[in-house]
Amino acid sequence: MATVTERVVPLEESVEEIRRGRALLATLRRKPLGFLSAGLIVVLVLTAIFADVLAPYDPLATQPEIRLAAPSWAHPFGTDDIGRDVLSRVIYGARISLWVGLLAVGIGTLAGMIIGLICGYCEGRVDLVFQRVMDAVQAIPGLVLALAIVSVLRPNTTNAMLAIAMVIVPGNSRIVRGAVLSAKQNRYVEAAQAIGCRHPRIILGHILPNVTAPILIIASIWFGNAILIEASLSFLGVGTQPPDPSWGLMLSSTGRAFMEQAPWLAIFPGFAISLAVLGFNLFGDTLRDAWDPKLRKG
Amino acid sequence: MQKYVARRLLLAIPVLLLSSLIVFGLMRVMPGDALTVLMGESGNVGERELAKLRKDLGLDRPYYEQYGIWLWQMVSLNPGDSIFTNEPIAVSLKKAIPVTLELAALAMVIGLLVAVPIGVLSATRQDTPPDYVGRVVAVSGLSLPDFWLATLVITFAAIWFHWIPPIGYVSLWDSPWRNLQQFLLPAAVLGFRLAAATMRMTRSTVLEVLREDYVRTAWAKGLGGRIVVYKHALKNALIPVVTIVGGQLGTLLAGTVIVETIFALPGMGRLTVEAILFRDYPVVQTNVMLVAGTLVALNLLVDMTYAWLDPRIRYR
Repeated sequence: MATVTERVVPLEESVEEIRRGRALLATLRRKPLGFLSAGLIVVLVLTAIFADVLAPYDPLATQPEIRLAAPSWAHPFGTDDIGRDVLSRVIYGARISLWVGLLAVGIGTLAGMIIGLICGYCEGRVDLVFQRVMDAVQAIPGLVLALAIVSVLRPNTTNAMLAIAMVIVPGNSRIVRGAVLSAKQNRYVEAAQAIGCRHPRIILGHILPNVTAPILIIASIWFGNAILIEASLSFLGVGTQPPDPSWGLMLSSTGRAFMEQAPWLAIFPGFAISLAVLGFNLFGDTLRDAWDPKLRKG
Repeated sequence: MQKYVARRLLLAIPVLLLSSLIVFGLMRVMPGDALTVLMGESGNVGERELAKLRKDLGLDRPYYEQYGIWLWQMVSLNPGDSIFTNEPIAVSLKKAIPVTLELAALAMVIGLLVAVPIGVLSATRQDTPPDYVGRVVAVSGLSLPDFWLATLVITFAAIWFHWIPPIGYVSLWDSPWRNLQQFLLPAAVLGFRLAAATMRMTRSTVLEVLREDYVRTAWAKGLGGRIVVYKHALKNALIPVVTIVGGQLGTLLAGTVIVETIFALPGMGRLTVEAILFRDYPVVQTNVMLVAGTLVALNLLVDMTYAWLDPRIRYR
């Protein structure tokens, strides 16, 4: 009996993965905004990976003689107050934003997923205790919590990521818990329990594959939020530290100080943040349209 | 209903206690304390004076004792004084709360005035140009960082209209016009962002409700479009919208720090963030607990509103 389960489950999983992949491709073809969002994300990722090649100048190199130069062919996004090329800094900023988004959402989603799986599967006292802790964390405003955590750990990009991950955990754990509670009602989980499968195997082999869709949807939406929170923390001076080119930091330091004299210092980094967040928000919507059975047409 | 409210209030106690432990713990493990920051500001202070100051402020006591004292202060509604300014925290809050409340209320009003009609229009004209415009505005609102929008609004108001918001906070009672000039732009910036989420939710729930049988019956009875949409559909579509609005109100109470900073408004968000940076433990702890308590109360209020919006919902 056990042998049969071992053979059937991977096949079911791969069929499910193929079905999801096809549903996503069909939605991308059908919805131009979804296609646009995927394009934006690809551009952002390529920009971050090939920043060294794409950036026309060193983002940290200063040229005081051309400080606050308006956008021109030589410097399409202008220069900042110490003559650094804004385009190069915006390009390198993509690397920081993506890195922060990836790690913060990765850690936050993984931790939230583990807690959600345990709470949803075990229920009872374990669930009660974990969920009250999550309630307590959620009762503290996200930005204030992130700010306090960064202050504890020392302000820098890595610690900003950890702080953002902490903010993400409670919401994620709740969504995974709900999905697990619903997945547990399925007959195949009962069957797995009946044939004596061990708990870790039931959780990882039978329940987890059924909750990956909500996890991926929420992760993609959080990706945009993580970029926004990092920019906010950098704006408040506790995220990425100078001279690293973070979009939020560029806005708070030179962008605000010279906003009337050199509006391009505020316009381009802000535009970059908005495009990145827009891309992930729209992509999250597209994933939901493709994978949420309630929203799927036909 | 009463039983349900009592149970929820009872459940709120451990949640708030845990929140208080988290915020107390975080403040205590932060490197440096308010005295270190004070010492940095006022130059050289001797070790002995520092020890005396620590003793006076009770910072030399064991953590559990400090936590117990603070908890008692919170319960007896006397949160003590700020370490940094020596001002009673109640006085600071009395100044900051009206600023944040006014900003939050104005932002909510602007947000709802924009979001609900556009959300309904978007739903009733699904897949037409007004719907596309509404959806693009909504997604843009969610993607534009409020600090960027605020910076641009100030910059372009100054460049194009040679106008900058009045500096130095004036209360609504002292000069309503000047106060409105100060609050309108920040409230519009916050309201735009709030409107985006509410608009999306209104659109999707109205779309769902418009497909319900009772709405079809209302159409079949020959009722006018306005009555069907606003009287029959909208009220039932409001439950998820109320959930979002409740959450937003909670976020506004402490999440307006950046907008408050850019527009130089001395509200709760700014007070909390400055207190974190200056390691002003009592101020941070009190503010966070105040917001946490308000959030818990708002969640309960939101749940109770469901029963009013949809009489089928009963709490036991």
